[in-house]
Amino acid sequence: MQIEENIRVAFNGLVEHKVRSFLTMLGIIFGVASVIAMLSIGEGAKREAIKKYQQLGVNNIIVRDKDLSDQELENVRAKFSNGLSLKDVESIRNIVPQIDKISPQAEKASEVKYEDKSLKANLIGVTPEYDEILNYKMESGSFINNDQYQRQLKVCVIGSEVASKFFKLGDPIGQSIKIDDQWLEVIGVLQSKALFTETVGELASRDLNSDIYVPLSTFHGRFDKEKQLASELKQITIKVEDSKNISKAAKLIENIVSRHHFDNDDFSIIIPVELLKQEEKERRIYNILLGSIAAISLLVGGIGIMNIMLATVMERTREIGIRRAIGAKRDAILSQFITESLTLSITGGIIGVLLGLSLSISISFFTEITTSVTLYSVLIAFLFSVIVGVTFGYLPAKKAANLRPIESIRYE
Amino acid sequence: MLIEIKDLRKKYIMGDIEVEALRGVNLNIQQNEFVSIMGPSGSGKSTLMNILGCLDNPSSGQYIFDSVDVSLLNDDELSEIRNQKIGFIFQTFNLLPKLSALQNVELPLIYAGYDKHERREIAREALDKMGLSSRADHKPNELSGGQRQRVAIARALATKPGIILADEPTGNLDSKTGNEIMALFRELNEEGNTIILITHEPEIAEYADRAIIIKDGLIISDKPTSGNTAEVLSENSLTS
Ligand SMILES: Nc1ncnc2c1ncn2[C@@H]1O[C@H](COP(=O)(O)OP(=O)(O)OP(=O)(O)O)[C@@H](O)[C@H]1O
Ligand SMILES: [Mg+2]
Repeated sequence: MQIEENIRVAFNGLVEHKVRSFLTMLGIIFGVASVIAMLSIGEGAKREAIKKYQQLGVNNIIVRDKDLSDQELENVRAKFSNGLSLKDVESIRNIVPQIDKISPQAEKASEVKYEDKSLKANLIGVTPEYDEILNYKMESGSFINNDQYQRQLKVCVIGSEVASKFFKLGDPIGQSIKIDDQWLEVIGVLQSKALFTETVGELASRDLNSDIYVPLSTFHGRFDKEKQLASELKQITIKVEDSKNISKAAKLIENIVSRHHFDNDDFSIIIPVELLKQEEKERRIYNILLGSIAAISLLVGGIGIMNIMLATVMERTREIGIRRAIGAKRDAILSQFITESLTLSITGGIIGVLLGLSLSISISFFTEITTSVTLYSVLIAFLFSVIVGVTFGYLPAKKAANLRPIESIRYE
Repeated sequence: MLIEIKDLRKKYIMGDIEVEALRGVNLNIQQNEFVSIMGPSGSGKSTLMNILGCLDNPSSGQYIFDSVDVSLLNDDELSEIRNQKIGFIFQTFNLLPKLSALQNVELPLIYAGYDKHERREIAREALDKMGLSSRADHKPNELSGGQRQRVAIARALATKPGIILADEPTGNLDSKTGNEIMALFRELNEEGNTIILITHEPEIAEYADRAIIIKDGLIISDKPTSGNTAEVLSENSLTS
């Protein structure tokens, strides 16, 4: 019941000194708002990253043929390495026990034509397993099946970008497009995927939506190599059964491929999960840095509150004396003034949360940065303002509680 | 015995200067007495009253209030005594300016732990008794001096303390209003309250049954009133 009274007194005081209270709360408001905005930027980046790596597959290991210059290529061939090949795939499949699925893939930059339109696309030769590893979603039609692969059919699955450029109105399925000098029938269209705008490890950034998939057998049988000395495969994607075994499997795979390639450094191993972890670690440091800046702002806000509370206690010495004279205990005075500083900091905290929310919404609206506000960040920021209120309100409140009744009642 | 004071002394030390405001006061007051304290300015009346009201502590000597040695009590216990057993009334009213009359009267009840409804009811009753029911929602600055002092009395009586200490309660009032307030005290005394009041005016002291005169920190006279207070005062050339 006394709490209710304290809150009433505190709010009356706040309303009575609107400008002063607002100025006092500014530090907290900006502190809380910046904590929320910064955490939302961090969280947005994290979600983007997770999305990006999920596309690569969290259980996957990628072995990729390095992009080498003609000279380097000659050198490694001279040192007996044939680059990534189906033999590597076979060895990995036979030796590594943790494997769930494995899919070889060949790549080539190609010229694609349909009627009078043409564009540059990535031609990718894959086995039917590829779809199962990466869980591609189809917009229409279906992915390459085993039969089409076995029979080296001239079929292709196109990315959404290719589909929208070539087939604005009509249905692409069943249409034929010309890739290099070959005519292939479109059997499926992939759903649009988030753009791959950043380089991930050894994977150069590219627009996944302008990929065109063909059976690997067709690729090898019908299309010329980009370079004379180019390897048979550009990439091998391996899915392990249990993500716990991923580094063990990766180690083994590296040994096998390295042995096949006579220790030539012409391939690299990418583990999306580990890259994600690495990126998260870096982001955590960045978050701590930003968080500290916001915390300093909160600290300054807290000092502002302490300052105003000390002034308030001075100003209200007589009131304190009167309350003590009619029977208020020290604790009653203490809790009254802590309630007042809490009221300031919590009100500031609430305004700060609202400001922080609108800030992070504005950031994602007006810039390229993705933001995401979590309940957790709101709670953290709010909790901080409560802590600031209690911490910085304690000293002035203690001072008020320790005033001697008789002296304060005489105070002019 | 409600109040027993033995050889009470109070020294104020301000830098190098030492002021001895009370220099060995002995005083006994019984339940339901009506006592006035008079004396020249600076003689130590307020100092004594503040000690009686547990607002201040003596430098030496003994103060036994309601059979309890006050020097043995801690701050919380003293607060409780001020809240439950003593009603203090000041010359300057000491109402909280932002609170209404009713809220001012409720204040001691809040600290006594009454719930909202109980304290509202008690506070209204106390204001009614002071003839202020129509002023319950007024702020102190919307009330006359006499009304403010009545609110202060209502506040002092709210927790039914049984003893009222008033330090020049009529000092800021005109004589008509002062007499009304004194009539009120008289009534409260007849209802069983013990009243101790400080005054400068012999006519006011006449309302009490017993008149104490303090000079230079010592009680120099302690008699029942019988119309002779004015005489004593002039004998000691206290009135100026
Ligand atoms: N807080 C204090 N610090 C120092 N000296 C004080 C203090 N309070 C009172 N005194 C001194 O103690 C003496 C007694 O003061 P007190 O207020 O008790 O007098 P009083 O009888 O109430 O006077 P008045 O009739 O003017 O109210 C005075 O000399 C005064 O200066
Ligand atoms: Mg005085």
